[in-house]
Amino acid sequence: ASRNSRPVLIVYRFRKSRLEMANAGGAPIMVMNQSTQRESGRKAQLSNIAAAKAVADIIRTTLGPRSMLKMMLDPMGGIVMTNDGFAILREIDVSHPSAKSMIELSRTQDEEVGDGTTSVIILAGEMLHVALPFLEKVKLHPTVIVAAYRKALDDCLSTLETLARPIDCENREEMLRVVRSSLGTKFVSLFGDLMCSLALDAVQTIAVDIDDSKKKDVDIKRYARIEKIPGGELSDSKVLSGVMINKDITHASMRRTIENPRIMLLDCPLEYKKGESITNIEMLNPADWKRYLEIEEEYIEKICKDIQSFKPDVVITEKGVSDLAQHFLQQANISVLRRVRKSDNNRLARATGATIGHQPDLMHESDIGTRCGLFEVRKIGDEYWTFIENCKDPKACTIMLRGASKDVLSEIERNLHDAMNVARNVICDPRVLPGGGATELALAAALRSNSQSMHGVSLRPYQAVAAALEIIPKTLIENCGGHVIRLLTELRAKHANGKHTTWGIDGVKGRIVDMEELNIWEPFLVKSQTIKTSIESATVLLRIDDILSGVSKGKRDPAGGGGLQQQQTDPETFGDERDG
Amino acid sequence: VGLDKMIVDDVGDVTVTNDGATILKLLEVEHPAARVLVELAQLQDEEVGDGTTSVVIIAAELLKAADELVKQKIHPTSIIAGYKLACKEACRYIQNNLTISTDDLGKDCIVAAARTTMSSKVISVDSEFFGQMVVDAAMAVRVSDGKGGYKYPIKAVNILKAHGRSARESVLIDGYALNCTIASHAMKKKVIGAKIACLDFSLQKEKMKLGIQILLSDPTKLEAIRQREADITKERVQKILKAGANVVLTTGGIDDLCLKYFVEADAIAVRRCKKVDLKRIAKATGATLLTTLCNLEGEEVFEVSSLGEAAEVTQERICDDELILIKRPAARSAASIILRGPNDFYCDEMERSIHDALCVVRRVMESNSVVVGGGAVEAALSVYLENFATTLSSREQLAIAAFAESLLVIPSTLVINAARDATELVPKLRSFHHSSQVKAEHEKLKYYGLDLMEGTVRDNREAGVFEPGISKIKQLKFATEAAITILRIDDMIRLDPEQKEESHYQKARQQGML
Repeated sequence: ASRNSRPVLIVYRFRKSRLEMANAGGAPIMVMNQSTQRESGRKAQLSNIAAAKAVADIIRTTLGPRSMLKMMLDPMGGIVMTNDGFAILREIDVSHPSAKSMIELSRTQDEEVGDGTTSVIILAGEMLHVALPFLEKVKLHPTVIVAAYRKALDDCLSTLETLARPIDCENREEMLRVVRSSLGTKFVSLFGDLMCSLALDAVQTIAVDIDDSKKKDVDIKRYARIEKIPGGELSDSKVLSGVMINKDITHASMRRTIENPRIMLLDCPLEYKKGESITNIEMLNPADWKRYLEIEEEYIEKICKDIQSFKPDVVITEKGVSDLAQHFLQQANISVLRRVRKSDNNRLARATGATIGHQPDLMHESDIGTRCGLFEVRKIGDEYWTFIENCKDPKACTIMLRGASKDVLSEIERNLHDAMNVARNVICDPRVLPGGGATELALAAALRSNSQSMHGVSLRPYQAVAAALEIIPKTLIENCGGHVIRLLTELRAKHANGKHTTWGIDGVKGRIVDMEELNIWEPFLVKSQTIKTSIESATVLLRIDDILSGVSKGKRDPAGGGGLQQQQTDPETFGDERDG
Repeated sequence: VGLDKMIVDDVGDVTVTNDGATILKLLEVEHPAARVLVELAQLQDEEVGDGTTSVVIIAAELLKAADELVKQKIHPTSIIAGYKLACKEACRYIQNNLTISTDDLGKDCIVAAARTTMSSKVISVDSEFFGQMVVDAAMAVRVSDGKGGYKYPIKAVNILKAHGRSARESVLIDGYALNCTIASHAMKKKVIGAKIACLDFSLQKEKMKLGIQILLSDPTKLEAIRQREADITKERVQKILKAGANVVLTTGGIDDLCLKYFVEADAIAVRRCKKVDLKRIAKATGATLLTTLCNLEGEEVFEVSSLGEAAEVTQERICDDELILIKRPAARSAASIILRGPNDFYCDEMERSIHDALCVVRRVMESNSVVVGGGAVEAALSVYLENFATTLSSREQLAIAAFAESLLVIPSTLVINAARDATELVPKLRSFHHSSQVKAEHEKLKYYGLDLMEGTVRDNREAGVFEPGISKIKQLKFATEAAITILRIDDMIRLDPEQKEESHYQKARQQGML
């Protein structure tokens, strides 16, 4: 048994040596699972901070108007080109648990407000980084630091309230300005105002009032769809006052252009449907078979008649349409689209004012959509697209993006998404804060002046938060190649007296300017969420003093059993055993 | 002021926690004696819900002390007897001398007790906020037990987690939050004065059960069967709607064809709710969870009486998700807490902390008594037991003294974790308690405990550091029992799984003879 038992022995030895390592200087009895690795005390804290910092460093260069794109190859060989913090981190496969937790942050930010994913990571990384000296040199207790951070967070939020200024959502100019400052850092900023107005139009289209309150509900995910069609020019992109679907009419001789159509939406098939219960048919009489087929035809004829009685010009269904039904409907001069997606149908319903029906015979006149101005099937590139346009007061829309290649379009789509989220945030909470690092500097200044009246050990971590906030303007200067120390001290001086709270960095030219002049404004929701998330996550990571990894969830094989197990599952051996 | 542990499993899932039971559960401890301690923590978690860390620390310390005694050639049975006696005395002393009735302290002490448990957790900074929230939630689910007292089924507090926003923006909802979305977008998102029907069956096309056959001789009848399949459900829906229901919650599915009826009736329909949720909703709103519409006569009816009522049902967007909120149910108040935080680990840990706090609040309210925290009880017991030991002349004396000594591990661990000087603070604490027990005029000193932020000894009764008395008593009992269990062992036999005899064929193959 020498040949096979040897590797087992080696495995055992290896495990044992690791065991001793993990347990150096400790009790001789091994209590935990042997594959468990443990890092504790200061070492754990330092490695957490290092991991967080490493994650932040990956995406530091993607902040600001002079930011660079990252190109990533995924395992399948596809390319992602982006400077969206979340999109980058999503693709990276990290193993350190704290780094993972950092990446989660940008996801949170993306889902909650949809913008500022890069800033949140950079800020959180820096918040941890500034805590390092306290742990290493001063040896402060982490809970003291955490408490100071929390206090700083509360002060930041109350300062934000005073810095915020209201904005008029109806004023297109002002709204465009806010959206523009978000897009300014993105790839699409090259194309100027086009994207801003696209995003703004789309969001304003789908905004609906929540019945009793003044608040508005904007569901971008459901009611604003972005369709990417490679080819053409970016300037051909537009927001449709309606919906477009990647479908062609089912029958070549149906009408392709209809003005002011009556649209009927269905989610049932226009084919003969068998019952739910299992049906077996046994025929004894050939006439019965004929009759049976006739019933199917009669059924289709009936539903087509029902549909005709509403005199629709277009029928759109989520399910299939049989050839026979197509024939009947074509005779009645009705255009038919089949197999549209449920989500598309929902958008159609919102855009045209129709109600999705399930049974043609149970529909009402009110279920027919009449708000559409133009139904047209057009061929773009190689594909047919159905346009349902010129709707009166549509509550859903499609954004048609044109561009050179698929990768570019994907990046534009991401940018547009951010922009739409910014617009939504402003509509939901119409307050803005100065951008370009001005808000962070103002907060830092406020924290510093607050700290003058503080005493005790928490003073220095409190001030450290102020220093950490300056990472945002600092990174902005770095990314545009400015002189960090000179500009930052100048700005600090401006902010110190608490009057010039709108002065920040011009990320393009690398000098200090008043944001009032440059017109860079960011939504209040995004900024406050960034600060909340980054400080709170820093507090979690700081409190950790032990990292245990390699704990398995399920039951693990007993050590050393691996070799034997594998042999048993070897199919060849299995067969032999059975034979002999 | 404890710190947290980060536990990573082999898939890479991360848990950040401060809860002793959770840490030990995830650790996969293999040593059998160590397993006893892990189970001990879990027992405490189930029984009391809090103090899981303390119980393990005490048990370990008791064993350590016993080990010393065994080395001095004292037979384990004497130690066991001593421990048992000491534990009994300690529990008696807590009950008679150290507990304070909540009536004397006023309502604030309940919040204070909740805050005390949270003080070591991740939400310690916001303990004021969460303490109030937890107490409100516990009050909301209170039910009378029929004997003038109240029960607090804390499981009825529904805790939902959603990342985003900040911890401070967590909300307590007077009602029930359901993690589902409405079945169709065309439905209204808000119903005021909701009449709720809870169903435990699908509103789908009726399907024949297995083994049932219908034989037809006329092909035209087939169409009728088809029609009937759709109609059965339609009739059901209409019966429900006719009874006045405008919110329909079901555990099963709802066919698209039925959705239209709901939309037309301006009703909200929610499919695929969890059954546990529905049961609680039914209880809170006064609805009956129906498994079928049939009554005793075999006819399908929907009784108006089985409808529940709530002031408002809305769908709200939280983070990227949608929740259905059933606000202010009619029959009973309910509570749901929606926790917000920067990421999932944070939310998970918040949930555990909130759960602990809820357990504590329940214990305090049910027993109406608290003890002072911050190591005060342990110090008092230690002093008391030491004196008690000297009154005994039997062999147990040493064991009881060891028990008394071991209890000091709690205050000294607290002090060490707060990075203070244990050799200075613990004796100070003990001296306070000694004088409280010796001199009648220093009675008040028995409420003195540690102030870990400042590193001093103070009156913790004034400072509002409370723990439920039952938690302390259970801790002592469980820890003693676990220690005794392990002490009684004098031999360990380990059964390794039998090595399977390899077949001759395999052996031959391995040796390269084939």
